[in-house]
Amino acid sequence: MEWGIVYFKARDGSVPADDFLDACPAKIEARFYAVLEAVRAAPPPQFSGGGYWEAMHGEMGGFHEIRLTGPGRRQYRLFCILDNADPDGLRERGFDRPQIAVIAGMVKDSGKKFSGRDYAGVKALGGQYSEGFPRLIAS
Amino acid sequence: MARRHKLDTTYHDRRLARRLKEDPEFRAEFERQRREIDQIDSIVRQLDTLREQAGMSKAELARAIGKEPSSIRRFFTADVNPELKTVAAVADVLGAEVKVVATKKTRARKARSRDRRAAA
Repeated sequence: MEWGIVYFKARDGSVPADDFLDACPAKIEARFYAVLEAVRAAPPPQFSGGGYWEAMHGEMGGFHEIRLTGPGRRQYRLFCILDNADPDGLRERGFDRPQIAVIAGMVKDSGKKFSGRDYAGVKALGGQYSEGFPRLIAS
Repeated sequence: MARRHKLDTTYHDRRLARRLKEDPEFRAEFERQRREIDQIDSIVRQLDTLREQAGMSKAELARAIGKEPSSIRRFFTADVNPELKTVAAVADVLGAEVKVVATKKTRARKARSRDRRAAA
């Protein structure tokens, strides 16, 4: 079954992934979409995403990220959660099929690392998303 | 009792459709990337199918190419970017090979070029 793709919408009405994608160069934005579409068409555990889609570990366990390199070796990351459950669980979330929930994105210079605070921010947004019944999404 | 409030989940599709329509640069890159990603995904999935047909576990395959079983599990589940040398090693153990084949479009262009040279 092909999955859906939804974007987390924060309680303040902002859509962090939208803001991030809007600020990306067009080619990077297009690549993010291409990876998302590939993963939705052949969701895990199948291999998909051309190697750009990776499960995160450690403190970011439970998230997946799309890792792209842009102009000037800038590193673009889009953070997602795979939102799947049995049919009743999906209905409770407001869905009729599993979803790739796009939470937020970040960018950094090559060789730099995101700080613990950066990741904590993404985790907090992911937490807001996962606590919502139905889910908080852009529509 | 599960609630039954179905959400509108078409936002992404509408956004993508709008971007494809309004920005030719976006569209060209999106289509190019889809082709590229589809090729990579197809190669890895074909190798996994060959592995299953050979009755070989991922751990056995890993041992056959001198890798850790966890690295081959990740290889087949998109947890890592597949390295070309791993692709080639896995293909070899499974009795396959990785080939690059020109697309129909490229073959047609070469044929036209040959015809032009012959006519000159």
